[in-house]
Amino acid sequence: MPIDKILVSIFQRAFKSITDEMSISLTKTTRSPILCEAKDFVTGLYDAKGQMLEQTENLPILSFSLGPVCRVILEQYKKDIHEGDVIIHNDVFSMGNQNNDVAIFKPIFFEKTLIGWAAAKGHQADIGGAVQGGYNPNATEVWQEAIRIPAVKLYEKGQLRKDVWNLIFANIRLQMVQEDIKAQIGACTLGERRLQNFVAKYGLTIFEAHKQALFDSTEKMMRAEIKSIPNGTYKGSSMVYYDGKHKGSKFPIRTEITVKNEEIIFDFSKSSPQTKGFVNGTYTSTCSAITLTFLQMVNPNIPHNEGMIKPLKYIVPEGTILNASYPAATTFGNHLCPQVADAIFKALGPAVPNRITAGWNHLLCSLFTGIHPRTEKKYVDICFLGMKGGSGAMNGNDGYDHIGMIDASGGVLDQDYEMYEQQTPHMILQHEYLCDSGGAGQWRGGLGTITKINLRGGNTTMVVFGDGDVETNYGLFGGKGSVLNKIELTYPNKKKITPMSKDLLEGIPDNTLYYQIAGGGGGYGNPKKRKKENVLQDVKNEVVSKKIAEKMYGIKIK
Amino acid sequence: MRYKLGIDIGGTFTDLILISDSGQTTVHKTLSTPNDPSVGFINGIRELAEMNCIPFDTFIKLIDTIVHGTTVATNALLTLKGAKTALVTTKGFRDALEMRRGIREEQFNNRYQNVTPLAPRYLRFTIDERIDAEGNVYKKINEKELLPIVKKIKQEKVEAVAICFMNSFKNNIHEKKTLSFLKKNLPGVFITASYEVLPSIRFYERVSTTTVSAFVGPIVANYFNNLQKKLKEIKYSGSLLIMQSNGGVVSPETVQKNPAVTVLSGPAAAPTAGAFYSKMLNYKNCITVDMGGTSFDAALVIDNQCVTGTEGNINRYRIALPSLDIITIGAGGGSIGWINEGGLLQMGPQSAGALPGPVCYNRGGEFPTCTDADLILGYLNPNFFAGGKLKLDKAKAEKAISEKLAKKLGLNVLETAAGMYRIINSNMAQGVRQISIERGYDPREFLFIVAGGAGSIHSSEICKELEIPMFLVPNVSSIFCAAGMLLGDLKHDYIRSFYTTFSAMDKKKFLSLFNEMKEEGLKTLANEGVQKNKIEFYPVLDMRYSGQYHEVQLPCLWNDIQKLKFETIFETFHNEHNRQFGYALKEEKTEMEIINLRLRVVGENEKPTFLSNTQNTIDAQKAIKEYRNVFIPETNQMEKIPIYDGDKPIYGAEIKGPCVIEKITTCIFVSKNYDCKVDHWGSFLVYEKNSKTTNHMLRKKLLHAN
Repeated sequence: MPIDKILVSIFQRAFKSITDEMSISLTKTTRSPILCEAKDFVTGLYDAKGQMLEQTENLPILSFSLGPVCRVILEQYKKDIHEGDVIIHNDVFSMGNQNNDVAIFKPIFFEKTLIGWAAAKGHQADIGGAVQGGYNPNATEVWQEAIRIPAVKLYEKGQLRKDVWNLIFANIRLQMVQEDIKAQIGACTLGERRLQNFVAKYGLTIFEAHKQALFDSTEKMMRAEIKSIPNGTYKGSSMVYYDGKHKGSKFPIRTEITVKNEEIIFDFSKSSPQTKGFVNGTYTSTCSAITLTFLQMVNPNIPHNEGMIKPLKYIVPEGTILNASYPAATTFGNHLCPQVADAIFKALGPAVPNRITAGWNHLLCSLFTGIHPRTEKKYVDICFLGMKGGSGAMNGNDGYDHIGMIDASGGVLDQDYEMYEQQTPHMILQHEYLCDSGGAGQWRGGLGTITKINLRGGNTTMVVFGDGDVETNYGLFGGKGSVLNKIELTYPNKKKITPMSKDLLEGIPDNTLYYQIAGGGGGYGNPKKRKKENVLQDVKNEVVSKKIAEKMYGIKIK
Repeated sequence: MRYKLGIDIGGTFTDLILISDSGQTTVHKTLSTPNDPSVGFINGIRELAEMNCIPFDTFIKLIDTIVHGTTVATNALLTLKGAKTALVTTKGFRDALEMRRGIREEQFNNRYQNVTPLAPRYLRFTIDERIDAEGNVYKKINEKELLPIVKKIKQEKVEAVAICFMNSFKNNIHEKKTLSFLKKNLPGVFITASYEVLPSIRFYERVSTTTVSAFVGPIVANYFNNLQKKLKEIKYSGSLLIMQSNGGVVSPETVQKNPAVTVLSGPAAAPTAGAFYSKMLNYKNCITVDMGGTSFDAALVIDNQCVTGTEGNINRYRIALPSLDIITIGAGGGSIGWINEGGLLQMGPQSAGALPGPVCYNRGGEFPTCTDADLILGYLNPNFFAGGKLKLDKAKAEKAISEKLAKKLGLNVLETAAGMYRIINSNMAQGVRQISIERGYDPREFLFIVAGGAGSIHSSEICKELEIPMFLVPNVSSIFCAAGMLLGDLKHDYIRSFYTTFSAMDKKKFLSLFNEMKEEGLKTLANEGVQKNKIEFYPVLDMRYSGQYHEVQLPCLWNDIQKLKFETIFETFHNEHNRQFGYALKEEKTEMEIINLRLRVVGENEKPTFLSNTQNTIDAQKAIKEYRNVFIPETNQMEKIPIYDGDKPIYGAEIKGPCVIEKITTCIFVSKNYDCKVDHWGSFLVYEKNSKTTNHMLRKKLLHAN
């Protein structure tokens, strides 16, 4: 069949508009703030073989998380796939990325032929297990974290399987999760309708041929990007601190990246064996981390379809911290992304110094639960606003201030302060850029933040998870690192408590001061080479102190 | 004879429309004068007087009302040439404005930078004051703290100051004190406080909107002062009204209090005109599209009302004031064609603008644009562009497309131009999809109104992609926005935050807040000379199910609000939620809550009557100027088709497609699958022939309306 190049462009845009539309629908209908505010979900379209047509990954860490599941479903059900089926899945030991990330898949039929899949995966507010919300620093195996849902049909030929529905949600705490799963099914129905209409317009033959042409064109773009990296094997490493069980424990992440003409292999075989706690990745979460990091090094306009992934090869052996064996606890796995990214940037830095950034601030996050005295209702709140530090600088531009972890890259929004004070009993005292937190460099790292909150209401529970409180992130080519992450509580009796990076604190009294530093990003290049006017501007804006201007940048200001 | 005059100042042209009390219209375009737009404004009026053969001094006395839309504020935001602006805010919150809640719109692009804050950090000052979440004074303000700030503001020669404190939507006492203190101590500086601009919950939206208002404030104030001075000089004694982003008009005095209401002053007129036109044609819903040189705007009209939203951003700056919901995408006559790394043809969003413009303008443009493709495809007549004022160079356009695109694609020039045409049409269809389908509306049920000179060359293909059975090109298509300005009512929007569940509501407070807003509206409209019996109230509740994060803006009846008929309101809410999101929680009896109360107070403005024409009609065949080779998308080749002179009086005529209808100000392509009917106002209705998707009932109704 002759390929109409123009039609290929139209296909790409149409697929993108469908997955975008599915995402808009999810944002507006979901209830959990993790979904409707932080947008921790991905929507995608797949073809009948499970190849990605397009996806909208609102959080980049989900960039690889649907495809492998789609293929698991195809393998499991084979011919037993029918119009009106809805399949649910979260199981990390059959290609799920994180227990809380629950996927919905809906097959799409055209004239009785399976032509593709609509999929939506979102981070649920609860997924069963021992601790509400799923982050259980004490977990050593999966059942202490979550209910496992291998691929199972929620709907068969359009009929709700009420028994299956009840079985699943009997194991999940919050009613909200049922509502949010309904919203995901709705988004998939939307995707199904749109793709059907689209195929009806052009016919199946043209659809198949031009879809393939789109993959080929995208693959060509990706291969050209890889080809521009000099051939060779590059090594990089980073460190994960504290598994939630053993104080002082640390676990190296090691990568060996081989670039051979138009192919690139990411090999993480030499990383640490898996941990005994929940600080473990899954194959899918690690591949997502690799993919998103590499995508930040190439043309940002490359369409996100199967052609984009095809030239990338991943080696992540089972039993390592990045792909833990059954039945390990793995909820923290998505948050190993910063270390995976660090290792890749460090490895490829010498080869493509203009495409990588210095170190990003690592996540250190807290989650509060309690009873709001004004409404006498339970609230759950992830302190998004406090956790977001700066990104690393690049050759040619400063890092991005207060962007947060690389897994999200600016996709998670802060709560609005006034809404926050209505919905929780707490009072925000300060949320500002932290002076001198951007790693010094010719290009300065993005700024971190300082957050102070008066915790009120009494008997507050706090879960802490993250890293970045032991080793500062790194600068590159003469640039400097930033400050450490820190969380500290000051009780009304002046007692100070610094929680571990994976921790659970209960019974926090009324009027406790919560203090958090989210560090900045690393700097790039020798600070002495920074343009004087930029340093003066930073000093004028009080994001660089006079002291640091003199000490690091060599510019004396009276 | 008395006149009303609508004036829309755009980047290239200033459009004027003059309507007499008997309904006669005169349309005129004159060159804009970007350095001082009021020059073009006055020039245009002079030229109109000449066109009507009336001495200028007499003419100016015959005009009762001038309605004006301006891009002064829009451009200040787009080019960052606003006032030097400072922000005074609560201690601990110095950076909310710049942080923008920590968003990076392009997540995979590490070179993507944050926007430049409209008030730089060194001009963001904090005061140790605090109102708590319930509106109590937690830390009392000490005005002495303002003294060093005043000093610094003077030192830095700041031109505008925004004031925004935490929780001021609950209690504005500290903002009020600060405002009066700064006004006293900083004469000549433009100062505004958030309680005046947007007294509603959500700190970021409020601080951003207030700062935008301050940033554009002095420029907008200067502009209107200057304009009023010039109007005085020419002895204009009628009224001057300004188009706002919400589709209503206001007096210049009101604008000066909150200049941010004019950031969409120009584009807001298109849907306003759309609402009027569709009503005239007995149609309730329409989509208006406006294709200009660089951008394509699309907006919705539902039940003869323009759709309003509060989600607006301009140039990534958040403005949470009620504005017409307008989607703008980078697709226009100047959009540049290019080839991406994967070898695929792309159009825009980069644009050649008006200068250097498309290659065929022969003004130094090098990159092939949409207009160049339209020329090669035969839609545009090289000797009749803008009525022949601008000769188009076809050879140059062909050369550019050949060298920059065709060779790389392995296609010939014609195939490439056809590709450019299809891709930009697909982009624009995407914009229409966003404003309709993504809002939960089926575009096929809407009358599709096309404005802007270039839009009607592309609309049959946009409609085909979205299965829209017909579109309307109004007789004043090219100056549609100027016409829309004469059709707007006086509209004032008020908001009060009132965060409560229905069960726990303080009903007295609920009513008194609505009354407060009502009185404020009545007072403003009285100052604008509106009579009481011409005033109507449109309340809106921002509501959601308890536990949800995003609220629905629910329009209610004033009567239901006054009589506290909550059961009716609940019912409407369930229905609206179901419509937008596909489900409601009626059975579950989920509790509902309110976030904000809103009231729009509308003073009806007298509308001009448009004259319908039935006289001097000539047979359409006589309007055929020539036959020309034009690209027909259905057959994918050039075909010789008739070219009609659209400026001839062919009222009531039915014209078969394919054909091109040329007017001085616009050009309409009626493709092979379409026919066209000219109505008695001189507008063109283009509809699909014999198509399954054509909704015969709707079409019949529409044709009947003529």
